[in-house]
Amino acid sequence: MVTIGIFSAFTPQNVMYLLGGLGVTVGVSLISVVLSLIFGSVVGIIQFERLPYFSKFVGTINNVIRNLPLLLIIFFVYFALPKIGIHLPIFWATVVAMSTFESAMLAEIVRGGLESIDIGQFEGARANGLSNVQTMIYIVLPQAYKKMIPPIISQLISLVKDTSLAMGIVLSEMTYRGQIVYAQNSTYIIPVLAVITLVYFILNYGLSLVARWADRKLA
Amino acid sequence: MSMIEFTNVEKYYGNFHALKNINLKIDEGETVVLIGPSGSGKSTLIRTVNGLEEIQEGQLLVNGFDLHDPKTDMNRIRKNVGMVFQHFNLYDNKSTLENIMLAPRLVLKRDEAENKKIAMELLEKVGLADKAANMPSELSGGQKQRVAIARSLAMKPKALLFDEPTSALDPEMIGDVLDVMRDIAKDSSMTMLVVTHEMSFAKAVADRVIFMADGEILEDSTTKAFFDNPKEARAKKFLSQVEHH
Repeated sequence: MVTIGIFSAFTPQNVMYLLGGLGVTVGVSLISVVLSLIFGSVVGIIQFERLPYFSKFVGTINNVIRNLPLLLIIFFVYFALPKIGIHLPIFWATVVAMSTFESAMLAEIVRGGLESIDIGQFEGARANGLSNVQTMIYIVLPQAYKKMIPPIISQLISLVKDTSLAMGIVLSEMTYRGQIVYAQNSTYIIPVLAVITLVYFILNYGLSLVARWADRKLA
Repeated sequence: MSMIEFTNVEKYYGNFHALKNINLKIDEGETVVLIGPSGSGKSTLIRTVNGLEEIQEGQLLVNGFDLHDPKTDMNRIRKNVGMVFQHFNLYDNKSTLENIMLAPRLVLKRDEAENKKIAMELLEKVGLADKAANMPSELSGGQKQRVAIARSLAMKPKALLFDEPTSALDPEMIGDVLDVMRDIAKDSSMTMLVVTHEMSFAKAVADRVIFMADGEILEDSTTKAFFDNPKEARAKKFLSQVEHH
């Protein structure tokens, strides 16, 4: 039975259909990775700088988001926002939800990374005449990001995997399409899931290779 | 003209009174050594001069700028007042040469070729021209401190602050750093304020010695007067303790 599935599950039509799903998964992931790296860094720096009131305010919102299930945020963006007049297409609703959640997670990593930098690095730079912003850009952030690469990459790997949660709002990403394909014939279940597993693995292993490369480059 | 002038300065950490009624005037070109037992407020005092620590009361003028005035741009003071730290505080992510060139490039907008020339001359001066390409992690403590001094000098400051520059060094490294500092002190226009436990350095280089204890300045004398005939009982006791090393 299973052998039959291996040969017949991957018709050109099914392969194209699954590849389309892969495209959606990669698309959501890539855009969300970029957005959450940007917003996560900004929010992390705001929290680290301890600006009066503002940092506390941002930190509180961040904490709330981090402690919600991602699926709930996806539902909120796709089902609740339209009720107050904000309509997003399903792809972008997923991107917004993923980016919001992952930014909150990354912000915490960024804040922690910044706090791990020795106070002497700040004092050395400030005493040397550098402004606050210059100190961050040239001295502190490069050192902090180097330390943050491993936790950031594992967070981004979660992000890629968590795009599959968007099947909850019927986003036609890879896992969802896999389900559609093996719904045609139960012998397809094992081969289709096996291939999807392999594809997620390759995507995320690729990410960890990027991490290793970045680590060497920043060393 | 006075370079650094404390008038009735008070500094608190919460309820702890770290600096008590500090009155101190340091003229341009003077070399002043600040000594005292640990916890006496020496480091706190020197760190107020470039605004790393805020003061709560009184007036502190540095190079004509009032540090207690919130409108004062701290970076304009720091441009002219360098600092050398106990733990060096070199930029860990920059090479030796880049450590020296970064602030002149960013803050003074010094021309790149000129910047490199000055940086190499300074490395030559501290005896580390061959370490230009090395990272701080590849240097010994004494070498790091000499790079840190070169980094401060690259800004062509009017005053240099040294906060226990040799306290974290192995004994055999101390001499090289003190030699560099002696050289700088010879420059008659450079104002130097040095917190140190190196009494031989103080005797040889300082114009004046300030003795602090419990956040107060107990004695402010010429170097010779201080070492020959300290006025304060606590200064006498302190000297007898450190000189028995």
